[in-house]
Amino acid sequence: MNLFLKIFLWFLTAIALMIGVVIFLNWSVQTEPVVSRWQNSVKNQMNVFAATATQIYDAQGEQGLREFLARIDTADTVGQVDVVNQDGQNWVSDGIDLRQYQALIDSTFLTGQVQIEQNSPDSALAAMTFDTKDPNGAGRAQHALIVRWERPKPTPMFGESRLRYLRYFGLLLTALLVCYLLALYLSSPIGKIRAATQKLAAGDLSSRVADELGNRHDELGALATDFDLMAERIESLITSQKRLSRDISHELRSPLARLGVALEIAKQKSRDDTTQLLDRIETESARLNEMISRLLMLSRLESGSQDIEKQDVDLKALVEDVAEDADFEAQAKGKSVRFSGAEKCRVTGNESLLRSAVENVLRNAVRYTAEGTTVDVSLATNNGTATIKVKDHGGGLPDDELKNVFRPFYRVGEARERATGGIGLGLSIAERAIHAHNGKIEAKNVDHGLLVEIDLNCSNGSREET
Amino acid sequence: MNKILIIDDDEELCELVSEYLTVEGFEVAAVNDGESGLEAADSGEYDLAILDVMLPKMNGFEVLRHLRQRSKLPVMMLTARGDDMERIVGLEIGADDYLPKPFNPRELVARLRAILRRVGDGTERDGSEPIQVDDVELNPASRLATVGGEDLALTSVEFDLLNALLKSAGTIVRKEDLSEEVLGRKLSPFDRSLDMHISNLRKKLGTRDDGTDRIKTIRSVGYIYTKV
Repeated sequence: MNLFLKIFLWFLTAIALMIGVVIFLNWSVQTEPVVSRWQNSVKNQMNVFAATATQIYDAQGEQGLREFLARIDTADTVGQVDVVNQDGQNWVSDGIDLRQYQALIDSTFLTGQVQIEQNSPDSALAAMTFDTKDPNGAGRAQHALIVRWERPKPTPMFGESRLRYLRYFGLLLTALLVCYLLALYLSSPIGKIRAATQKLAAGDLSSRVADELGNRHDELGALATDFDLMAERIESLITSQKRLSRDISHELRSPLARLGVALEIAKQKSRDDTTQLLDRIETESARLNEMISRLLMLSRLESGSQDIEKQDVDLKALVEDVAEDADFEAQAKGKSVRFSGAEKCRVTGNESLLRSAVENVLRNAVRYTAEGTTVDVSLATNNGTATIKVKDHGGGLPDDELKNVFRPFYRVGEARERATGGIGLGLSIAERAIHAHNGKIEAKNVDHGLLVEIDLNCSNGSREET
Repeated sequence: MNKILIIDDDEELCELVSEYLTVEGFEVAAVNDGESGLEAADSGEYDLAILDVMLPKMNGFEVLRHLRQRSKLPVMMLTARGDDMERIVGLEIGADDYLPKPFNPRELVARLRAILRRVGDGTERDGSEPIQVDDVELNPASRLATVGGEDLALTSVEFDLLNALLKSAGTIVRKEDLSEEVLGRKLSPFDRSLDMHISNLRKKLGTRDDGTDRIKTIRSVGYIYTKV
């Protein structure tokens, strides 16, 4: 999950939690006082109702009382209204099952006070006594007025109008917007720094980021400035290194070029007995020259992949070509190179680098394989990976030396190397070239010989016959 | 006697090469910077120029670019060894051949002779017939090649390659033969210069209207100029 999404979701969760807490608090704060206030008002109203009931009955008789009770019943907050005589007889019934509330009735007759029983979360029964003229005789009779009160609901946070959905929506939108902006604010500079880093890694040394971030004075701004400083330093280092290798190339080669021409003139004028020595000088200067080119190539490969121009390369044709050339060379030394297992494969890469990688591995194999033996070269593809195997019959290497063969100037045996004329850079160049193509190169011992395996990613481009 | 112009800023090298080439029977003059090199090459006195890439005032590529606008003087480029870009750029601009520096003087002489022989051939064989294959026309006498009536700006190597391929259009020409006939040297392993010349020639010729290549590679044998 990327940082933007993470920050966004975290903030969204935090806001959702906060809203939840606020709603809970709102509910619990509203509930307690509301209940006690409600009970007070119920008490007051019951007192008023009872007094009024007495007066109305005394003035207007039973008919008036019934009208009065019916009027009470029309109020929203009143569920049912009953009147009970002291003897327990139901006088006016609206449907309350009195047997369940006998205790309530008893206690109100006993105390003469308003009694309230909360019998369900939404409603409560309240009872209060009142007296009237006894309809059956003189004196006064006691009755209990019982009213079921609906409990008032706490007001929802956004009211109850239709507009409340709009309010919900508004809240959600604001939360989303705030989270989005915050996440963007935090993650976008990181994205920019990352893009710049990738550009730098891909070889664009002029990649800078501080300007893009604008005037930020926080840690991210400082990071961008630091990145720019680092990029600046890398750029100047690499530029000077490149200039240096160009200069070396020119400065070392000029005397070599002169040496070569002078040598040839000396040969023209030489007597027979010096020719052999002059030939020797020629060989050595050629070797020196070869070494300079390879060192330069190595340093160019190590300075990064930015200079590598990549195009579509027919790997099969390339390996076959090199194998053929190597075979031609090997034949002169009584050895041979055999190419087998040709599978069509195209890779995206630099043809001359890939060629030199394969060539170096192959020439190395030809150099070390025993006389009269064959170096086997094969190319196979599997799951989009092309594997080139080069196997010689040169006795292989001690196992603990295997990992060193790709090191520049690494020599397994001084004497052996000299006799075979290598300069110890071929495999290093091959390794750097393969790595520049995101490939893998490995050396192992396989029955008395060295096997070098090169893995490259095939491009899934065109596969047509060329 | 062939007159050779050396354009190289290394004076000592110029002296040595002059001495060597003189013994080999050439007449040699040397200049040490790009501007005077272009001037001398323009003078028309020389049969061939040896041009170094790294030059003061005006680099070798620029000298060649200016020179190619008005002259077909054969040019041998001296490039830094191992620098493929220089080689490719040089050949694309129109160098006839290249030699990585430091070079073997014997090879230099062999290549100079090959270039001169090629150029010489054209003037000697005045009577040789123009060749036409489909929309490509090639006139060895005037050393002009056209495709669909448009002039192909070919270097002398490319011209000779095309000539050799067109002469046997429809049949395979072996790499070995091409190397000896056109470059004047035996084909050696790991030498890609023939392939590079062919690839430049392909670029200049373009594909046929139906998108097929005019010159086909027959792997590990040679090339074939296909007929419609």
